[in-house]
Amino acid sequence: MSFDEFQNRARLYVIGALDDGEYREFEEARREFGEPAEAFITECYRLHEAFALSLRPAKSSDALKQRLMKMVRERKQGDAC
Amino acid sequence: MPAVTPQLEPGEPTDLELMHGIQQEDPEALSKLYDRYNGIIKALILRVVHNEAEADDLLQEIFMELWNQAKNFSAQKGKPLGWMVTLARRRAIDGLRKKQAYMRAGERLQQETEQQPDAWVHNATEEEINFSDTRVLIRKVISSLPPAQQQAIDLAFFRGMSQREIAANTNTPLGTVKTRLELGLKKIYDGLKELKDEL
Repeated sequence: MSFDEFQNRARLYVIGALDDGEYREFEEARREFGEPAEAFITECYRLHEAFALSLRPAKSSDALKQRLMKMVRERKQGDAC
Repeated sequence: MPAVTPQLEPGEPTDLELMHGIQQEDPEALSKLYDRYNGIIKALILRVVHNEAEADDLLQEIFMELWNQAKNFSAQKGKPLGWMVTLARRRAIDGLRKKQAYMRAGERLQQETEQQPDAWVHNATEEEINFSDTRVLIRKVISSLPPAQQQAIDLAFFRGMSQREIAANTNTPLGTVKTRLELGLKKIYDGLKELKDEL
């Protein structure tokens, strides 16, 4: 697999769209290309950020945040005991 | 590729600083990160599960997981937002599958796919929030794609569908789906790189 082809596959990989056979070939190429491959995959994950940021933010209730923070504080206290 | 995170007010902690705070078990850091991103994360979850109550439950679970798993976050592997989005997407798609929400996929997909091309474009304006400029620019890139490419990417990213599932659900040859995904993702990736200066 060329590095160009690897780049195509990497973009599919980060959105989970590789089929099984492609996935195996991709993993093999990933090992062969080493560090540049890992760096490119990290870059591709920016696509996730971009897709999420393309959406209009949705509203959540204050009560939801209060519940979350209560759980977090309880968890922290529990861990400290 | 550009950083696609919102601009911060002077003195505001960066996402990375907040993640370090969470790693030090500082609830205030989580509170700030939640305030900054809960809208984006919930929008992502809603796009997957299409149910307000489930989205709220998942949002809470995801931020709790973020708190519990913060030590696993490594800045070398990406930005906090990317990590959160990846986590949220996985949880939302898992939730969708567990509930066997695909049972009615045929009719629901039919309706939604008809709306997909402009579902992304649809929310393009509004809101004076930090993300608005970034969002408009990203949408500009996405909406420059042919509708069929947008649809394929949407089904893969927001539904977690494999290429075969997309092909089956849209009555499109598998090879065409592959090409649409490859071309579409490359255009978005390249487009985001070109936005670097604007962002």
